[in-house]
Amino acid sequence: MTALPLVGFVALSSALFAVGLFGILTRRNFILVLIAIEIAMNAAILNFVYFGAFSNGTAGLTGQAVAVVLIGFAATEVAVGLAIVLALNRVKGTINVAQANELKL
Amino acid sequence: MDLSSFAGPFLPEILLLAGTLLIFLLDVLGIRRIEVTGAVAAGASALALLFVVADLGFAPLAFLANLSAGQVDVAIAPGATPLYAFTSLGLVFQGIFLTASFLVALASMSRPSNERGAPIFFGLLLLATLGMLLVTIASDLIFLLLSVEIVSISTYLLVAYTRKDVRSLEAAMKFYIIGALSTTLSFFGASLLYGAYGTTNLFAIRAVAGSVGYPVLVLLGYGFLIAGLAFKATLVPFHAWAVDVYDGAPTDVTAFLTGGSKKVGLFAIFLVFLGPVLFVAPGAGGSPFSGGTVNIGPVLQVTLAILAVLTMTVGNVLALLQKEMKRMLAYSSISQAGYMLIGIVIGTSPALTGATLQMFANVFMKTGVFLVVAGVTALGVGPLIDDWKGLGTRRPLLGVAFGLMLLSLAGVPLTLGFVSKFVLFSSAVEAQGYFVWLAVAGLLNSALSVFYYARVLKVMFFDRPEPDALPTGAVAGGSEPSLLAAGGLGYARATAIALIAVAVVAFGVYPQPVLGAISNAAQHFIHVGP
Repeated sequence: MTALPLVGFVALSSALFAVGLFGILTRRNFILVLIAIEIAMNAAILNFVYFGAFSNGTAGLTGQAVAVVLIGFAATEVAVGLAIVLALNRVKGTINVAQANELKL
Repeated sequence: MDLSSFAGPFLPEILLLAGTLLIFLLDVLGIRRIEVTGAVAAGASALALLFVVADLGFAPLAFLANLSAGQVDVAIAPGATPLYAFTSLGLVFQGIFLTASFLVALASMSRPSNERGAPIFFGLLLLATLGMLLVTIASDLIFLLLSVEIVSISTYLLVAYTRKDVRSLEAAMKFYIIGALSTTLSFFGASLLYGAYGTTNLFAIRAVAGSVGYPVLVLLGYGFLIAGLAFKATLVPFHAWAVDVYDGAPTDVTAFLTGGSKKVGLFAIFLVFLGPVLFVAPGAGGSPFSGGTVNIGPVLQVTLAILAVLTMTVGNVLALLQKEMKRMLAYSSISQAGYMLIGIVIGTSPALTGATLQMFANVFMKTGVFLVVAGVTALGVGPLIDDWKGLGTRRPLLGVAFGLMLLSLAGVPLTLGFVSKFVLFSSAVEAQGYFVWLAVAGLLNSALSVFYYARVLKVMFFDRPEPDALPTGAVAGGSEPSLLAAGGLGYARATAIALIAVAVVAFGVYPQPVLGAISNAAQHFIHVGP
């Protein structure tokens, strides 16, 4: 395990997080925003996995356990997002984030 | 009766969960009347509130206490990493959240009974409150963030619960995107902190906070974590979503968002911030910019102080410019978060007392004003402030109640808002250093806020309405509306508003019991810690 440097892993997850963040901020389609949210969330989960693998004893197990819990949590969050987008699509007929303009003055 | 042997220390939480399940069960059985589900929600919140007040040591209710003295404010043994810990400050916050949930549940029983989704509304309300209670006892970063997420996910759905209204669905969508963004930010921050400290436990982090290397990880970790939580607490520059969401959500839900769930973010900042600030010796570690071991405390303190001043000022200035009632109140709610942050930044025991008291006051004031707005909107009054012309003379009791809440928000003496601001700002002056400037900024902002509250009062009491523009308010009977209760507001909402108005004045004139309990809790908290 120690053959690979931790820095490389952290760089990978940071890149993944940046991709997700960029997607959340720029995508106009709600479904794509959801996917971007998942990508960013998975970056955090990956971080927990590496840091857990690289530390010793029970502290390392915390990271693995948290990763599993967060995978479940991310699924819950996306389910709620899909429910909202479904209701919005029924009422408005579009899931484009940019066309959400009822609240602007 | 020994309750602790029956339900353990989690009695309030169990009550809320049972209430949620009961409401959804009744829904399945076809019992969806708003009076029934609302009564379950209000009853569960009120009962849980009684237990919490008893746990805080309120003598007349002592027979209800379910936490023994050995369970609250216990000093943690070195090396122990408990997942949760009961502190009396946490119990005070449980009381604050349960008050918000009780008031909103009570007032919402007056929502139109033909409206669909009452079980969803009340069930999610209790579930969100359950998440808030868990936040107050968390002592582990992951436990804390997951509890915050219980609140967030429930409130996304609360905003969208009508399922037909385009405005509230769009508000829910914005709320969801921003909320999910802030969630990923805080979890990413937590993962970096786990990498730096090797643990997610707040006690363990605090023990090593002054002697850990990895300055970049610590700095970025706290940066992401605080940014994510600042979204939830609507601190400037993370506030832009709040006004649209507060405006678009059903107004009773807005009352719960500003009264309850915003304070969850503030309390979470409280927990992650105070550990490294209070419990690290001032000389320990270096600045995160100089390498070596890190003491993140001073950097966090300055950052949050800047955020506090920004939040107060931007919120107040933008509130001045608003023409719509709900948006004006939403901006004023943002500025209120800035006041509370002052107390958190300073971190002394009087300052914590001030911040907690400010949140206690805010529950009544902010929940109250939005509950009034919801009722008045249901009477057919338009969204603009000018639409409220003459309402105070037409409906004297409602006008006086609303006026009292606004005066308290502005911090006029003999109201609760004055007491909380007085304690808060005097603690900032006491703390010396640059904190004095926080007090100055707070005072200037309070003076500024008087302008827009006074404008509403002027419109309500001194402007004559155009004859045809005046809403008759005769919704139900068709006759001239009576003073408060029957005239379209509904008895439940009128009761909630009256309770709030009385509380604002009563605690303002005689704050000693609350002040004593909160300052006692804050002192314990400083010693035991998050």
